[in-house]
Amino acid sequence: MPGRLGELEQLVLLALVRLGDDAYGVTVRREIARCTGRPASFGTIYATLARLEDKGLVDSWLGDPTPLRGGRRKKYFRVRPAGKVALRAYLQALRTMTRGLAPSWPVP
Amino acid sequence: MTEPSAPPVLATRFLARLLPANVREPFLGDLEEGFHDVLASRGPRAARRWYWGEALRGALARPPQSAFVPNASRGDGPVTTAFADVRFALRLVRRHHGFTALVVFILAVGIGATTAIFSAVYPILLAPLPYPHADRLVTFEERGKDGSRAGIGFATVKDVADMNRSFATVAAMTSWQAALTGRATPQLLEGEHVSSTFFATLGVHPALGRDFTADEDRPGAPRVLILTDALWRGRFGGDSAIVGTPVTLDGIVFTVIGVMPAGFANVLAPNAQIWTPLRYDVSLPYACRTCHHVSAIARLKPGVSAAAAAADLNAISARLVAEHPTEYEAVGMVVPRLQDQVTNGVRPALLAVLGAVTLLLLISCANVANLLLARAAGRRAEFAVRAALGAGRGRVIRQLLAESVVLTGAGGVLGIAVAMAGVRGLIAIAPPGLPRTDAIGVSGPVLGFAVVVVTVIAMICGVIPAWHAMRADLYAGVKQSGRRSIGNGQAMRAALVVSEVALASMLLVGSGLLVRSMVRLFAVSPGFDETNRLTMQIQTTGRAFDDSAYTLRYFDRVLAGVSALPGVRSAALTSQLPLSGDYDSYGVHVESKPRANPDQDPNAFRYAVTAGYFETMRIPLRRGRLLTPRDRGDQPAVAVINESFARKVWPNEDPIGQRVRLGAADKGAWRTIVGIVGDVKQLSLSGSQSDAVYVPEAQWPYVDGAMSLVVQTQGDAAALTAAVRSATWAVDKDQPIVRVATLESLASQTEAQRHFTLLLFTAFAAAALVLAAAGVYGVLSGTVTDRLAEIGVRAALGASRRDILTMIVSRGLALSALGTGLGLAGALALSRLMESLLFGVGRGDGVTYGTVAILLALVAAAASWLPAWHAAGVDPVSVLRTE
Repeated sequence: MPGRLGELEQLVLLALVRLGDDAYGVTVRREIARCTGRPASFGTIYATLARLEDKGLVDSWLGDPTPLRGGRRKKYFRVRPAGKVALRAYLQALRTMTRGLAPSWPVP
Repeated sequence: MTEPSAPPVLATRFLARLLPANVREPFLGDLEEGFHDVLASRGPRAARRWYWGEALRGALARPPQSAFVPNASRGDGPVTTAFADVRFALRLVRRHHGFTALVVFILAVGIGATTAIFSAVYPILLAPLPYPHADRLVTFEERGKDGSRAGIGFATVKDVADMNRSFATVAAMTSWQAALTGRATPQLLEGEHVSSTFFATLGVHPALGRDFTADEDRPGAPRVLILTDALWRGRFGGDSAIVGTPVTLDGIVFTVIGVMPAGFANVLAPNAQIWTPLRYDVSLPYACRTCHHVSAIARLKPGVSAAAAAADLNAISARLVAEHPTEYEAVGMVVPRLQDQVTNGVRPALLAVLGAVTLLLLISCANVANLLLARAAGRRAEFAVRAALGAGRGRVIRQLLAESVVLTGAGGVLGIAVAMAGVRGLIAIAPPGLPRTDAIGVSGPVLGFAVVVVTVIAMICGVIPAWHAMRADLYAGVKQSGRRSIGNGQAMRAALVVSEVALASMLLVGSGLLVRSMVRLFAVSPGFDETNRLTMQIQTTGRAFDDSAYTLRYFDRVLAGVSALPGVRSAALTSQLPLSGDYDSYGVHVESKPRANPDQDPNAFRYAVTAGYFETMRIPLRRGRLLTPRDRGDQPAVAVINESFARKVWPNEDPIGQRVRLGAADKGAWRTIVGIVGDVKQLSLSGSQSDAVYVPEAQWPYVDGAMSLVVQTQGDAAALTAAVRSATWAVDKDQPIVRVATLESLASQTEAQRHFTLLLFTAFAAAALVLAAAGVYGVLSGTVTDRLAEIGVRAALGASRRDILTMIVSRGLALSALGTGLGLAGALALSRLMESLLFGVGRGDGVTYGTVAILLALVAAAASWLPAWHAAGVDPVSVLRTE
């Protein structure tokens, strides 16, 4: 059992799922900002990603250097099976909890 | 500077140092990519700002758990761990913002005041004078009978220069005032006649032109002149063609040969604007051994100590006294360092201020240590848990040190801001007599001092609670995690609060004594009426004034012109004005009491005045008559003396009708004493010696060239300044008028230095009182929190609100009473150092000590009230439930 996910951990994991092969710092940040309107700093995102990696929920590898990045390599992230399990469990719980709220509490 | 299209290099380097190795490269890469995005959408400024923001947040963001553990294999250095500590500390600071604000405020006040005062004191007392190898500069003069300084004559300086083996160069100088004429308005310049070696002795050379030569320093040599940079720019337009130009001073033509550098400071005569060679020769009458109107400086040869030079000069003095036994008072020379000479007068005041600063800083330290200790006691459980989880003692201590560094760092930065404002304030209120105020500023050494102070505070405040916390039994700590213990921590904090109150009471006693001195001082009557009295000095200049009769006629016409002005009630002239800095003292020889050695006859201030001077100053007549316009030069010579002189010389006789001679004992007129008037303070309000002899100006053999006009006005004295000045210039437009002031302002100026010290001390005392109150409050709040359970039990068992209030307040009063007792004893011991600043009060003045004790008791009671009120409001049920 990988333990519960923090809120930012959920967002980052979802961003990784949405981004697929193109998930690294800049795109993760942009995706979260685009979907939630929340400007998270790189520091926060990296700290979260490191925590997820420590928990065994994501893994990472280094890509190729590009001139736009001052010749530095990208660190790509990908959700591991354990991460998918945790994310599913979370989404499942969320769905169960929101089911039936509809008339008085419309959820889009 | 970074080019606009690239991220800031500094921020990148900063981050690169802090980031754990495993994310360093991709993180920086992402940041750079993001930078280009922002650059494209919002421009370079926004992009740079964004980058810095991201970098700072990246450095401080809550790190993943693994980053807490230094991992050498990952390339994490000690810096990364240190920043983990700082991050943790910052989080604590944010959480306890009230506590943080209090600590930072106390530190800012302590550090700021210390730095500001140190900035002011440093250039005056401690900084080397602005000359190369200034430690080799000394002054020297003869030693008097009682070991005092007795001045020196030119012939003696010359002999020392020829005979000594200690000095590289020797120079003599004497003050000089000259009027610059032939231009728009006559301007009186301050200057010095100096030996040609003067500037060489100081080790400074003119920036423009050249120094004096030995040939120019002989009687009859052509007149040459060196100017200050300020005069050259102000009066001569900064034109470098000035060198070689003729300039007329007092009707004599001088050739300008040089201009001193802009930064040149002449510490012995800070107002001097012009220098010309002395042109003395021992054959001249005014170059004699007893003609003590010159002073001397010398530069020691490398490797020769001031003590060795003093021995050398004492030997020379012994030979000179053997050769000229009648011309010296005693054998020996005084050889003070130039630095000591300059700071001589203000040293006690500044040292007292420095002492006050030290006390204030100690109070701040005790206060902050106290607050940190109180918090550490509350966090014992936290430390215990950490230690139980495997944190080493060193690791926890480092963590606490980091917290202290964050707090003191913030306090230090704010303190430097306080210091900058403080220095500006100090310069604004500094008395005019304070030497070297132009050199005061927050400078490098001063900042260094502040940094050292901050670091020391950080170490003390960090180590004490850490050491304290880790010494405690960790197991007991975990066991007691729900409860706070009363014990060692309490005792230590109580000790701190006692010392805080003790230090504060010492400061309060110091300022109290000064306040009482000021009150006494301003209650002293100067002996004349200073309200609605305008004064200005007229310095006659020009060849015509070599004739005494002409000068007298000139002054008569000025007086007539001024007296005729509307709003003027009366006007008079005097050769020296009380409380103005004038000092003109003569030996007084009494006809009926000749002494074998007339040199031992008493001295008195000589005032050459016009009729009406006593009335204008409202100096009261005690016996006999005042001077009248009939006491002219062709009438019998008369004099008026003051009471103290009459008492001293004729204790049991009537002085009226007695005859005295001023100056030389064997020549000059015998003057008959016709009246006795009240005493007047000449040098300062606190001075005691003021024997005086008044003679009619018309009966003085050499009419004084400079006379002070005193005008009694009907209304505000300052309002008549312009009218009086133009009435004077209506007689002769070329005569410079200086030192325009009201007598009231002169009287307060002589006490300016004492006033300044008082102001500083009052500020210190106020700060100390606030800090002491904060300390008492802090420690009692801690006590209340620690003893909540006990108080709850008491309340449950029937203790009334009143009982609990009394219990807490009496503890506060007991602590402060102990501190006050210790502080007053300490103050009594230390007040010896400030004795020279006191006037009319003893250093053991009971009123001051009593007032301080009562004041501190009141403050302690007030500071205890809030925690006591809090304790009295404790609900026993809720407290007992948490047990």
